[in-house]
Amino acid sequence: MESTSSSRITAVALAFMAVIWVSPFSWLFLNAFNPMSTGQLEIPRSVGLDNFALAVSGNAGKQFLNSMLIAAGTATLSVIVGIAAAYPLSRLRIPGRNAFLWTLVLLRMLPSAGVLVPLYFAAQRGGLLNQFGVIVALTILNLPFTLLLLKNFFDTVPIELEEAAYVEGATLFQIVTRIVLPMSRAGIAVVWFYSFTGAWNEFLLPLIFARVQDAFPMSVGLYAAFGQQGAINYGFLTAFSIIYAAPAVGVYFLLRRNMNTGFAGVGVKG
Amino acid sequence: MKNQANPWLTSNLWVLGLGMLPAAILIGALLYFTAWAFAFSFTDLALVGRKSVEWSWVGLQNFERLFTRRGFLESLWTTVIFVFFSAIVGQSVLGFLLAALLRGTQSSIRNVVEICIMLGWLLPDIVAAFLWSATTSQTGLINQLFIIPFGLKPINFINEYALPVVTIANIWKGTAWSYLLFSAALDSVSREVVEAAKVDGATGFQRIWLVMLPIIRPHIATNMLFITIWTFTYFPLIFAMTGGGPGTATQTLAVFLYNQSFSRGNLGFGSAISVAMLVIVGLLSLVYLRMLREPK
Repeated sequence: MESTSSSRITAVALAFMAVIWVSPFSWLFLNAFNPMSTGQLEIPRSVGLDNFALAVSGNAGKQFLNSMLIAAGTATLSVIVGIAAAYPLSRLRIPGRNAFLWTLVLLRMLPSAGVLVPLYFAAQRGGLLNQFGVIVALTILNLPFTLLLLKNFFDTVPIELEEAAYVEGATLFQIVTRIVLPMSRAGIAVVWFYSFTGAWNEFLLPLIFARVQDAFPMSVGLYAAFGQQGAINYGFLTAFSIIYAAPAVGVYFLLRRNMNTGFAGVGVKG
Repeated sequence: MKNQANPWLTSNLWVLGLGMLPAAILIGALLYFTAWAFAFSFTDLALVGRKSVEWSWVGLQNFERLFTRRGFLESLWTTVIFVFFSAIVGQSVLGFLLAALLRGTQSSIRNVVEICIMLGWLLPDIVAAFLWSATTSQTGLINQLFIIPFGLKPINFINEYALPVVTIANIWKGTAWSYLLFSAALDSVSREVVEAAKVDGATGFQRIWLVMLPIIRPHIATNMLFITIWTFTYFPLIFAMTGGGPGTATQTLAVFLYNQSFSRGNLGFGSAISVAMLVIVGLLSLVYLRMLREPK
């Protein structure tokens, strides 16, 4: 019964929606590409990349690498530790495992500021107030979610396939790497992506852990740059923001196909 | 899933156990730190000064202060409003409508709209806060488009309507998650069921309300569970946009917790706030999990 006119109205409404959604970006781009930026919303008289040159030189470039190290390190560590534990959790009948995982997820709902203080004391004692400490701390905080999601994905892999492989003489390692992992690729991509963006965006933890400016990731760098040189340099800040936002957007588009199928698994009951 | 029928598992139990070891250690650390956070809530531990070293146990005093002093209950109310309008009304309803509408459109439109909405979600919190502060400022986009052309005095939205502004910013940022989840959920509804309802004369609204919604009920509950809890404890966006102000207009519990713990240095009282938040979140989760379990 869908007539063409009603679907046209829907299309117009959706296009309108999309325009509203991206409109706040106008300010960001107008200022970032305007070498004479004043922070106002105006069409630049001249267009240039001066702000970007400023935003990749000196400390800012180092901060980009720091963020990359923290985000990729956290995501990879979380996924490896998560897979090693989630497969047994999915396959072995450990009594109360679901209740246990949900309790952990619930515990993680504790606002991270609450856990931050003991975490800081422990890292101080262990000499881990550095990048590696941030990676381990973020992995600890991520793990409940990682375990629950990965276990749910592994649950959807039919055990008959593993049985068949075993009958054909496959070892446990072969079963996991040749059957289970490829079949839950989408889920693993989702989990990796979550951990990556989560760590990339993380602000409070590196703010407290990173003692020297050399160790700042971009989130802390951006926050610190607000007050530099007395006045706010909007051109620099907007260009820096775009560079900071780019990797999370880029990783999403790389994993987009996997992401959208992977999301179906999130909805499967826990 | 019988163990005894899976010899590749039972003969390798120690390998599986070894695999779980790193996770077990890290989870142990998490439990240990959480236990400490709980313990702090019964002390008068401070961030700096004498009480940071010579702290003492004060029993339930911190929890009494939650109710007897100004701050906690006001913040709880602000949080409830923020969560209700931005997560439940904004993100969930908008996300569902988008997912339902986009199903019927061409893939090109679907892709463009999806990417636009995803951009908000992908943007780091600090950048999103920066963007929305600029958009709602006196010289920002909203004033330039809707206020100044009509000869009205520009409004400093972020000061005068702080709570609505952060609510809208959070809807903008978070709708993509609900959209993606509902989109995946609607894909799992079989076409035959919807077609059958169509043949029986159900209108578009009836097909959504009476056929699709009951089928995806578990997904709705899951979505509600996640976004309620996330929004309840969401900190960076509000903190970077308003810092909880003006006054305490946007001081949600997460901001209140941060201000008490790290600005005022009352780590003991701050821990009591986080314990109270955990209890509230736990109760909410139980409600949603019940929704998830029992079929009507």
